[in-house]
Amino acid sequence: MPSSSVALTPGLASFLKSLKTNPIDTSIDDLISLLKRRQIRHSRSCATATAYLLRSVISACRTSDANKLIERVQYVGRRVMAAQPREMVVGNIVRRVLGLIRDEAEDDREADFTLSDAGSESQPQTPRILDDISESLSARHDGSDRSSRQPFTSLSAPPISMFSLLSHPEPESSLPGTPASASPSGRLPSQIHNKDIRAEVLDGINEIIDELGQVDDQIAAYALDHIHSNEIILTHTSSTTVQKFLLKAAAKRKFTVIHAESYPNNHEATHATVSGQTPDDDELLSTEAFQKPLIALGITVILIPDSAVFALMSRVNKVILGTHSVLANGGLVAAAGTRVIARAAKVHQTPVVVVSGVYKLSPVYPFDFDSLIEYGDASKVIGYEDGDLVDQIDVQNPLYDYVPAESIDLYITNLGGHAPSYLYRIVSDHYRKEDINV
Amino acid sequence: MGQLLSGLWGVWQAGRAAAYGIIAGVAVSQPASRRATPTTSEKVANAPLSVVAFNSSIATPTPTSSSSSSSTATTPSTTTTTTTMPSQPQPSQGTTTPSAAPSTSAPSTSTSTSASKPAKQQSSKQAPKPKDNASSAPAGSSDSAALTPAELKKKAKAEKAARRARERADREQPGAAGGAPGTPSAKKGAAGPGAGGKDSAATTGAQQQQQKGQKQAPRRGSAQLSGQPSAAEVKKKQEEKNVSVFGHLYGQQRRTTVAGAGKEVHPAVLALGLQMRDYVVCGSSARCVATLLAFKRVIEAYTTPLGTSLARHLTTHLSHQITYLSTCRPLSISQGNAIRALKLAIASIDPSVPEADAKATLSDFIDSFIREKITVADQVIAGSAAQKIQDGDVVVTFAGSSIVKQTLLTAHKQGKKFRVSIIDSRPLFEGKNLARTLATAGLDVQYSLMNGISHAIKDATKVFLGAHAMTSNGRLYSRVGTALVAMSAKERAGGVEVPVIVCCETVKFTDRVALDSIVVNEIADADELVIAEPVQQLTGLPDPAAPAVELKKGKAAPPPVEPSTASQNMSSPLKDWKDSANLQLLNIMYDVTPAEYVDMVVTEMGSLPPSAVPIVHRMSTNL
Repeated sequence: MPSSSVALTPGLASFLKSLKTNPIDTSIDDLISLLKRRQIRHSRSCATATAYLLRSVISACRTSDANKLIERVQYVGRRVMAAQPREMVVGNIVRRVLGLIRDEAEDDREADFTLSDAGSESQPQTPRILDDISESLSARHDGSDRSSRQPFTSLSAPPISMFSLLSHPEPESSLPGTPASASPSGRLPSQIHNKDIRAEVLDGINEIIDELGQVDDQIAAYALDHIHSNEIILTHTSSTTVQKFLLKAAAKRKFTVIHAESYPNNHEATHATVSGQTPDDDELLSTEAFQKPLIALGITVILIPDSAVFALMSRVNKVILGTHSVLANGGLVAAAGTRVIARAAKVHQTPVVVVSGVYKLSPVYPFDFDSLIEYGDASKVIGYEDGDLVDQIDVQNPLYDYVPAESIDLYITNLGGHAPSYLYRIVSDHYRKEDINV
Repeated sequence: MGQLLSGLWGVWQAGRAAAYGIIAGVAVSQPASRRATPTTSEKVANAPLSVVAFNSSIATPTPTSSSSSSSTATTPSTTTTTTTMPSQPQPSQGTTTPSAAPSTSAPSTSTSTSASKPAKQQSSKQAPKPKDNASSAPAGSSDSAALTPAELKKKAKAEKAARRARERADREQPGAAGGAPGTPSAKKGAAGPGAGGKDSAATTGAQQQQQKGQKQAPRRGSAQLSGQPSAAEVKKKQEEKNVSVFGHLYGQQRRTTVAGAGKEVHPAVLALGLQMRDYVVCGSSARCVATLLAFKRVIEAYTTPLGTSLARHLTTHLSHQITYLSTCRPLSISQGNAIRALKLAIASIDPSVPEADAKATLSDFIDSFIREKITVADQVIAGSAAQKIQDGDVVVTFAGSSIVKQTLLTAHKQGKKFRVSIIDSRPLFEGKNLARTLATAGLDVQYSLMNGISHAIKDATKVFLGAHAMTSNGRLYSRVGTALVAMSAKERAGGVEVPVIVCCETVKFTDRVALDSIVVNEIADADELVIAEPVQQLTGLPDPAAPAVELKKGKAAPPPVEPSTASQNMSSPLKDWKDSANLQLLNIMYDVTPAEYVDMVVTEMGSLPPSAVPIVHRMSTNL
């Protein structure tokens, strides 16, 4: 996908480039050190890197035994997750890949079963009941497919369950990589060997990667449902998801954006986003660097320091926030300062909307909030010019805030809008119980 | 012709030098005082120092103009008038020009004796006295006595018209600056090249300052760099950059120089105005005390003109000072209250009392006002608020309130063991000074910015806040961000509310009411939000030499307008925010904390709930 940029500094681009040439163990170590050094930071970059890494891990793994694959992925996954335990997206991707393998393995077993026993219709469906609820559209799609291929599928059950794995609502089935079109075609030749789980898992991972690439646009598609004309919207940090969301709405409607700058950790990126100057952050993929700023679309953007949030909240209609990761209880871990903003919004009865890809949704329940918080570079708070002061006092620079579910009114994911209380359902759709503890 | 041109060139150079002097003077006074820990007394003590800086900047034109025009000493008279034009408010008056000269003699004495209180008084006495002599001997007695009231009125009108014209010319300057320095036509022509030179000097000065990480520079600089728009365009552009919700608050931009200040304004007030604008004197009580002290000097230097009484005329004289101060930065509530009390005291003086006695009475009044309402009040508040602190407490505070600092220091002196967590915000970083003071005193200090509120409040047991004012509906009007801190204390996730205690002198109580932070607020210069990287301070070392080099180079190659240096290129993406349409920066100073977030207001009259504010205010003003 983003192999265009010449990345000299270590980051996502350089990692993806080296992934093709380096032996797999080197790549694993490479990613671990990148994560440890926080040279890959954004949650999406982390997710992409993990997905690509796991793809090469699986393709390098010369076995067709599902258990061995699971073991291998678990081993790699544990190591990568340990490199950055607070980056939950890494764990999410590992879990999803594990889920893919498990599904494939089960399907194979069931296929064997159905081959001998002339397939009852209900059995292959059992694993996908959960999924059907949330995604009626794709389910309907699947259903029609299934009925049309009924004679064929009775021979080989796996394609049916494949849909359940890869189900994401993609109305435009013409898009490459959508489950409806891609998976059966990719599947058909492989089922002849009937045993090659790997190819299917690789397909699945490719779809995850595709999902990561499209997730912002999918979320942005809901923008017009949530932003009305002349609205005043407050946002925080330079989240690309939020920017795309707002840009999509800006194409049709006029509104005002108040942007809190999130000093000191993200203000430079925020300023760059706001003023439309290309951020020299090579972690962001090249497509986003060329994105138009909101101001170019005639949207008035007001940049404020974080302290002015309360003062302005009475004028704000809606708070739209990006996030770092979402937890199963509906709470979220987001850039520091988000919690106060969400609270201030609550006090003023202003709705708080969180936009986030499903890949950020983690099955972790937070029992110890402090463990989720990462602390950053204190020199951003007090520079080295004030070295004497730094010696005397304890300077703190938290990077993240835990925001409880009560402060959030709505989540918008690539699957649509959800109440915070509904998130656990989506979690159970996407991750298998066995994998919650990798 | 060639001679004339070169003469004009000299004028232009001199004008540049003059503007340089002013900006350099401000620049010198800024970092030094900003680094200093501004306690109330210290801040006030700073005043004479920067009076010196300001005076010396006025003094600079004379030597530089003579040196630069030495090669082309053709029109010395024009050089002097034009150089004084930008810096001197009323060159034609004749009374102010001599007054500048004696006041420049003050610096040497006041610098040698440093910034202690006697020095201040000394300089204050020294500076105005010659002025009195100068003004009262030739002009004061003959002029004002001879003129009939009608003539006086006419004169005032003319002055006003002249001032307006000058202001308009000032606004048009960006446009005029691009034009060639020539085509002198009557009086305006003489001002033209001088103004142009001054302006381009301001630009280069502005660039320099930008490198140094100073504010105030981009105002003129950026306006000029963006082509040469007409005055109307500039104004329109300005309005586009104003956040519409706050449109009512923009009003006039803060004064950038002392140029154009009325001749009545006392030098101490002139300096104080600039200090307040640059946040050197910052904080409600500090500004109040500094104003009163400056007014004391004004009163000391004041002589009642013939034909009026002190009680009548001094009030109008003071109102000139007040108007000037409010153009530098809108007056604080405490300043307003103090001024009201002072005016009341002036009005109540019996006209039959001799002037010297009246002035002494007023001086005493000011002293006792400061003592009663602020100095002693602070001690009382600190004492009673310190009692609220117990061993093992974690006290959270926001920004740098002087009274909270005093409270914490008092509690520390009482031997209490507690931790302080300071939350700070951009762009003023007032908490840094507080942190430094407390850490030096030996307290356990934790420091974080706005993004760390929820972490800091997590293990807090008490929140102490300073106030800019308390409104009559019990709301706290304080530095922007205070409301967020108070809210986090009350809406803590654990469910255990943290008591929020506000320390506030009753002089900060007001009968105004506020529901939100939008109707009543103060807008600061948005350029303060643009981050000037401190790294450039190190890389841009050749700065001190630059003016000298440029002066030499300037003769060889005219208009040396080099808009960008290497270091500027790496500045923040907001650098040219004024040129990008639809982008606005908002830098408000205050916000209003709902009364339900405040548990207690500690005043010198006791600890009250916020609902008691209007009663106390009525009591204290009726006394």
